[in-house]
Amino acid sequence: MSVIAEVLEELWSMFVGDRRLTLLLLAVVGLAAVVAYVVLQPLLAAGIVLTGAVAVLADSVFEAARKSRPKA
Amino acid sequence: MLDLATAAPAVSAAFVASTVEVVEAFTIVLAVASLRGWRPALGGAGAALGVLAIVVVALGPLLSLVPLHALQLAIGILLLLFGLGWLRKAVLRASGLMALHDEDAIYERERSKIAADGVAALASFKAVLLEGLEVVFIVLAVGAGRGLMIPASIGALAAFVVVMAAGLLIHKPLARVPENTLKFAVGVMLSAFGVFWTSEGLGAPWPGGDLALFALAGAFLVVALTLVAILRPRVAEAAS
Repeated sequence: MSVIAEVLEELWSMFVGDRRLTLLLLAVVGLAAVVAYVVLQPLLAAGIVLTGAVAVLADSVFEAARKSRPKA
Repeated sequence: MLDLATAAPAVSAAFVASTVEVVEAFTIVLAVASLRGWRPALGGAGAALGVLAIVVVALGPLLSLVPLHALQLAIGILLLLFGLGWLRKAVLRASGLMALHDEDAIYERERSKIAADGVAALASFKAVLLEGLEVVFIVLAVGAGRGLMIPASIGALAAFVVVMAAGLLIHKPLARVPENTLKFAVGVMLSAFGVFWTSEGLGAPWPGGDLALFALAGAFLVVALTLVAILRPRVAEAAS
Protein backbone atom coordinates (compact mmCIF):
# COMPACT_ATOMS: atom_id res chain seq x y z
CA MET A 1 0.00 0.00 0.00
CA SER A 2 2.80 2.37 0.91
CA VAL A 3 4.38 1.74 -2.50
CA ILE A 4 1.20 2.91 -4.25
CA ALA A 5 1.00 5.93 -1.94
CA GLU A 6 4.64 6.77 -2.67
CA VAL A 7 4.11 6.43 -6.42
CA LEU A 8 1.03 8.68 -6.31
CA GLU A 9 2.88 11.20 -4.16
CA GLU A 10 5.77 11.21 -6.62
CA LEU A 11 3.40 11.68 -9.57
CA TRP A 12 1.70 14.56 -7.75
CA SER A 13 5.04 16.22 -7.02
CA MET A 14 6.03 15.84 -10.69
CA PHE A 15 3.41 18.40 -11.62
CA VAL A 16 2.60 20.27 -8.43
CA GLY A 17 5.99 20.28 -6.73
CA ASP A 18 5.87 24.07 -6.38
CA ARG A 19 2.32 25.27 -5.63
CA ARG A 20 3.06 28.92 -6.47
CA LEU A 21 4.51 27.97 -9.87
CA THR A 22 1.50 25.73 -10.60
CA LEU A 23 -1.12 28.36 -9.68
CA LEU A 24 0.63 31.15 -11.59
CA LEU A 25 1.01 28.95 -14.66
CA LEU A 26 -2.66 27.93 -14.60
CA ALA A 27 -3.57 31.64 -14.34
CA VAL A 28 -1.42 32.37 -17.42
CA VAL A 29 -3.07 29.55 -19.41
CA GLY A 30 -6.52 30.74 -18.25
CA LEU A 31 -5.77 34.27 -19.47
CA ALA A 32 -4.46 32.91 -22.78
CA ALA A 33 -7.62 30.80 -23.18
CA VAL A 34 -9.80 33.91 -22.70
CA VAL A 35 -7.74 35.80 -25.29
CA ALA A 36 -7.93 32.86 -27.73
CA TYR A 37 -11.63 32.00 -27.38
CA VAL A 38 -13.32 35.26 -26.26
CA VAL A 39 -11.15 38.01 -27.76
CA LEU A 40 -10.42 35.70 -30.72
CA GLN A 41 -6.72 36.60 -30.92
CA PRO A 42 -4.99 33.18 -30.98
CA LEU A 43 -1.54 34.54 -31.87
CA LEU A 44 -1.71 36.96 -28.95
CA ALA A 45 -2.72 34.00 -26.77
CA ALA A 46 0.40 32.11 -27.90
CA GLY A 47 2.52 35.15 -26.99
CA ILE A 48 0.88 35.26 -23.55
CA VAL A 49 1.67 31.57 -22.98
CA LEU A 50 5.35 32.12 -23.87
CA THR A 51 5.93 35.37 -21.95
CA GLY A 52 3.81 34.11 -19.06
CA ALA A 53 5.78 30.86 -18.79
CA VAL A 54 9.07 32.79 -18.81
CA ALA A 55 7.76 35.19 -16.16
CA VAL A 56 6.52 32.29 -13.98
CA LEU A 57 9.96 30.64 -14.24
CA ALA A 58 11.74 33.85 -13.23
CA ASP A 59 9.32 34.43 -10.35
CA SER A 60 9.76 30.88 -9.09
CA VAL A 61 13.57 31.07 -9.25
CA PHE A 62 13.75 34.46 -7.48
CA GLU A 63 11.26 33.28 -4.86
CA ALA A 64 13.44 30.22 -4.15
CA ALA A 65 16.53 32.47 -3.97
CA ARG A 66 14.75 34.84 -1.55
CA LYS A 67 13.70 31.95 0.70
CA SER A 68 17.18 30.45 0.76
CA ARG A 69 18.79 33.75 1.81
CA PRO A 70 19.64 33.73 5.53
CA LYS A 71 17.66 36.28 7.54
CA ALA A 72 19.66 39.19 8.98
CA MET B 1 6.34 10.14 -44.22
CA LEU B 2 7.90 12.02 -41.32
CA ASP B 3 10.58 14.58 -42.10
CA LEU B 4 13.62 15.19 -39.93
CA ALA B 5 12.57 18.65 -38.74
CA THR B 6 9.33 17.17 -37.36
CA ALA B 7 10.79 14.04 -35.78
CA ALA B 8 14.14 15.39 -34.51
CA PRO B 9 12.81 17.46 -31.57
CA ALA B 10 10.66 14.56 -30.33
CA VAL B 11 13.47 11.99 -30.68
CA SER B 12 16.12 14.18 -29.05
CA ALA B 13 13.86 15.35 -26.20
CA ALA B 14 12.78 11.78 -25.44
CA PHE B 15 16.39 10.52 -25.67
CA VAL B 16 17.95 13.14 -23.39
CA ALA B 17 15.12 13.12 -20.82
CA SER B 18 15.02 9.32 -20.76
CA THR B 19 18.82 9.15 -20.35
CA VAL B 20 18.51 11.13 -17.11
CA GLU B 21 15.69 8.93 -15.81
CA VAL B 22 17.36 5.63 -16.77
CA VAL B 23 20.65 6.71 -15.13
CA GLU B 24 18.75 7.44 -11.90
CA ALA B 25 16.95 4.09 -11.97
CA PHE B 26 20.17 2.24 -12.87
CA THR B 27 21.99 3.71 -9.84
CA ILE B 28 19.45 2.23 -7.44
CA VAL B 29 19.19 -1.13 -9.24
CA LEU B 30 23.00 -1.35 -9.13
CA ALA B 31 23.04 -0.46 -5.42
CA VAL B 32 20.56 -3.28 -4.78
CA ALA B 33 22.55 -5.75 -6.93
CA SER B 34 25.85 -4.91 -5.25
CA LEU B 35 24.44 -5.65 -1.80
CA ARG B 36 21.89 -8.42 -2.29
CA GLY B 37 22.74 -9.85 -5.71
CA TRP B 38 21.20 -9.51 -9.16
CA ARG B 39 18.14 -11.71 -8.41
CA PRO B 40 16.21 -9.19 -6.23
CA ALA B 41 17.55 -6.26 -8.29
CA LEU B 42 16.37 -7.67 -11.63
CA GLY B 43 13.21 -9.18 -10.10
CA GLY B 44 12.10 -5.78 -8.80
CA ALA B 45 13.09 -4.03 -12.02
CA GLY B 46 11.33 -6.65 -14.16
CA ALA B 47 8.11 -6.38 -12.13
CA ALA B 48 8.18 -2.59 -12.52
CA LEU B 49 8.71 -2.89 -16.29
CA GLY B 50 5.68 -5.21 -16.38
CA VAL B 51 3.53 -2.61 -14.57
CA LEU B 52 4.79 0.07 -16.96
CA ALA B 53 3.90 -2.10 -19.97
CA ILE B 54 0.34 -2.48 -18.60
CA VAL B 55 0.09 1.32 -18.13
CA VAL B 56 1.24 1.96 -21.71
CA VAL B 57 -1.09 -0.70 -23.19
CA ALA B 58 -4.03 0.71 -21.18
CA LEU B 59 -3.32 4.38 -21.89
CA GLY B 60 -2.45 4.13 -25.58
CA PRO B 61 -5.95 3.40 -26.97
CA LEU B 62 -7.56 5.91 -24.56
CA LEU B 63 -5.48 8.76 -25.99
CA SER B 64 -6.94 8.22 -29.47
CA LEU B 65 -10.43 8.91 -28.03
CA VAL B 66 -9.50 12.43 -26.86
CA PRO B 67 -10.02 15.27 -29.42
CA LEU B 68 -6.63 16.48 -30.73
CA HIS B 69 -6.85 20.11 -29.49
CA ALA B 70 -7.95 19.00 -26.00
CA LEU B 71 -5.10 16.46 -25.92
CA GLN B 72 -2.55 19.09 -27.04
CA LEU B 73 -3.81 21.56 -24.42
CA ALA B 74 -3.78 19.02 -21.57
CA ILE B 75 -0.34 17.69 -22.53
CA GLY B 76 0.97 21.22 -23.03
CA ILE B 77 -0.09 22.33 -19.55
CA LEU B 78 1.32 19.18 -17.92
CA LEU B 79 4.57 19.59 -19.89
CA LEU B 80 4.86 23.21 -18.79
CA LEU B 81 4.34 22.25 -15.15
CA PHE B 82 6.87 19.42 -15.45
CA GLY B 83 9.38 21.27 -17.65
CA LEU B 84 9.37 24.56 -15.73
CA GLY B 85 9.81 22.57 -12.49
CA TRP B 86 12.91 20.87 -13.96
CA LEU B 87 14.26 24.12 -15.36
CA ARG B 88 13.73 25.91 -12.04
CA LYS B 89 15.73 23.22 -10.21
CA ALA B 90 18.40 23.25 -12.93
CA VAL B 91 18.81 27.05 -12.63
CA LEU B 92 19.00 26.80 -8.83
CA ARG B 93 21.62 24.03 -9.09
CA ALA B 94 23.68 25.88 -11.70
CA SER B 95 23.67 29.06 -9.62
CA GLY B 96 24.73 27.22 -6.45
CA LEU B 97 21.47 27.60 -4.54
CA MET B 98 20.73 23.87 -4.61
CA ALA B 99 23.08 20.92 -4.22
CA LEU B 100 24.07 19.23 -7.48
CA HIS B 101 22.55 15.82 -8.25
CA ASP B 102 25.22 13.27 -7.25
CA GLU B 103 24.78 9.62 -8.37
CA ASP B 104 27.65 8.43 -6.14
CA ALA B 105 25.97 9.91 -3.05
CA ILE B 106 22.58 8.43 -4.03
CA TYR B 107 24.24 5.04 -4.58
CA GLU B 108 25.77 5.06 -1.08
CA ARG B 109 22.51 6.28 0.52
CA GLU B 110 20.50 3.50 -1.15
CA ARG B 111 23.06 0.89 -0.07
CA SER B 112 22.71 2.00 3.54
CA LYS B 113 18.91 1.51 3.39
CA ILE B 114 18.89 -1.98 1.91
CA ALA B 115 19.02 -4.73 4.51
CA ALA B 116 16.94 -7.67 3.29
CA ASP B 117 16.08 -9.28 -0.06
CA GLY B 118 12.43 -8.15 0.16
CA VAL B 119 13.41 -4.54 0.81
CA ALA B 120 16.03 -4.76 -1.93
CA ALA B 121 13.57 -5.99 -4.55
CA LEU B 122 11.07 -3.31 -3.48
CA ALA B 123 13.70 -0.57 -3.77
CA SER B 124 14.53 -1.74 -7.28
CA PHE B 125 10.81 -1.98 -8.16
CA LYS B 126 10.05 1.54 -6.91
CA ALA B 127 13.05 3.12 -8.62
CA VAL B 128 12.27 1.59 -12.01
CA LEU B 129 8.53 2.25 -11.69
CA LEU B 130 8.89 5.92 -10.70
CA GLU B 131 11.59 6.79 -13.21
CA GLY B 132 9.79 4.68 -15.83
CA LEU B 133 6.53 6.54 -15.29
CA GLU B 134 8.40 9.78 -15.98
CA VAL B 135 9.77 8.27 -19.21
CA VAL B 136 6.26 7.14 -20.22
CA PHE B 137 4.91 10.63 -19.57
CA ILE B 138 7.72 12.27 -21.54
CA VAL B 139 7.23 9.92 -24.52
CA LEU B 140 3.46 10.52 -24.47
CA ALA B 141 3.92 14.25 -24.03
CA VAL B 142 6.38 14.86 -26.83
CA GLY B 143 4.86 12.23 -29.13
CA ALA B 144 1.09 12.15 -28.75
CA GLY B 145 0.33 15.72 -29.85
CA ARG B 146 1.24 15.09 -33.49
CA GLY B 147 1.48 11.36 -34.08
CA LEU B 148 5.15 11.18 -33.09
CA MET B 149 4.82 8.30 -30.65
CA ILE B 150 7.13 6.01 -32.63
CA PRO B 151 10.02 8.54 -32.97
CA ALA B 152 9.66 9.50 -29.29
CA SER B 153 9.62 5.82 -28.26
CA ILE B 154 12.74 5.20 -30.36
CA GLY B 155 14.47 8.08 -28.53
CA ALA B 156 13.54 6.60 -25.13
CA LEU B 157 14.52 3.07 -26.16
CA ALA B 158 17.88 4.32 -27.46
CA ALA B 159 18.51 6.00 -24.09
CA PHE B 160 17.70 2.74 -22.29
CA VAL B 161 20.08 0.75 -24.51
CA VAL B 162 22.93 3.30 -24.25
CA VAL B 163 22.70 3.65 -20.45
CA MET B 164 22.39 -0.11 -19.87
CA ALA B 165 25.35 -0.82 -22.16
CA ALA B 166 27.48 1.83 -20.42
CA GLY B 167 26.36 0.65 -16.97
CA LEU B 168 27.03 -3.02 -17.61
CA LEU B 169 30.41 -2.12 -19.10
CA ILE B 170 31.72 -0.02 -16.22
CA HIS B 171 29.63 -1.67 -13.48
CA LYS B 172 29.59 1.48 -11.34
CA PRO B 173 27.10 4.34 -10.83
CA LEU B 174 27.18 6.50 -13.94
CA ALA B 175 28.45 9.51 -12.03
CA ARG B 176 30.36 10.82 -15.04
CA VAL B 177 27.21 11.33 -17.07
CA PRO B 178 26.81 15.14 -17.02
CA GLU B 179 23.42 14.73 -15.38
CA ASN B 180 23.03 18.30 -14.16
CA THR B 181 23.77 19.66 -17.63
CA LEU B 182 21.37 17.13 -19.16
CA LYS B 183 18.67 18.15 -16.69
CA PHE B 184 19.18 21.79 -17.70
CA ALA B 185 18.75 20.80 -21.36
CA VAL B 186 15.70 18.64 -20.59
CA GLY B 187 14.06 21.49 -18.67
CA VAL B 188 14.62 23.78 -21.65
CA MET B 189 13.23 21.26 -24.17
CA LEU B 190 10.19 20.23 -22.13
CA SER B 191 9.30 23.87 -21.43
CA ALA B 192 9.55 24.63 -25.16
CA PHE B 193 7.30 21.66 -25.99
CA GLY B 194 4.90 22.81 -23.26
CA VAL B 195 4.52 26.31 -24.72
CA PHE B 196 4.21 24.84 -28.22
CA TRP B 197 1.45 22.31 -27.38
CA THR B 198 -0.45 24.66 -25.07
CA SER B 199 -0.62 27.28 -27.82
CA GLU B 200 -1.59 24.71 -30.47
CA GLY B 201 -4.25 23.40 -28.09
CA LEU B 202 -5.64 26.94 -27.85
CA GLY B 203 -5.89 27.05 -31.65
CA ALA B 204 -2.79 29.20 -32.12
CA PRO B 205 -0.35 27.46 -34.46
CA TRP B 206 3.17 28.91 -34.26
CA PRO B 207 4.66 30.61 -37.32
CA GLY B 208 7.13 28.20 -38.91
CA GLY B 209 5.33 25.12 -37.60
CA ASP B 210 7.56 22.57 -35.84
CA LEU B 211 10.67 24.71 -36.48
CA ALA B 212 9.25 27.13 -33.90
CA LEU B 213 10.24 24.54 -31.28
CA PHE B 214 13.91 25.41 -31.84
CA ALA B 215 13.20 29.14 -31.39
CA LEU B 216 11.17 28.46 -28.22
CA ALA B 217 13.95 26.25 -26.82
CA GLY B 218 16.46 29.01 -27.64
CA ALA B 219 14.33 31.56 -25.80
CA PHE B 220 14.08 29.37 -22.68
CA LEU B 221 17.82 28.66 -22.81
CA VAL B 222 18.67 32.38 -22.94
CA VAL B 223 16.28 33.18 -20.08
CA ALA B 224 17.57 30.30 -17.92
CA LEU B 225 21.24 31.22 -18.51
CA THR B 226 20.43 34.87 -17.74
CA LEU B 227 18.81 33.83 -14.45
CA VAL B 228 21.93 31.80 -13.56
CA ALA B 229 24.16 34.77 -14.44
CA ILE B 230 22.09 37.04 -12.19
CA LEU B 231 21.97 34.65 -9.23
CA ARG B 232 25.51 33.25 -9.25
CA PRO B 233 27.30 36.44 -8.07
CA ARG B 234 24.66 36.90 -5.35
CA VAL B 235 25.22 33.36 -4.09
CA ALA B 236 29.01 33.80 -4.20
CA GLU B 237 28.71 37.10 -2.34
CA ALA B 238 26.46 35.58 0.33
CA ALA B 239 28.91 32.69 0.79
CA SER B 240 31.98 34.93 1.25
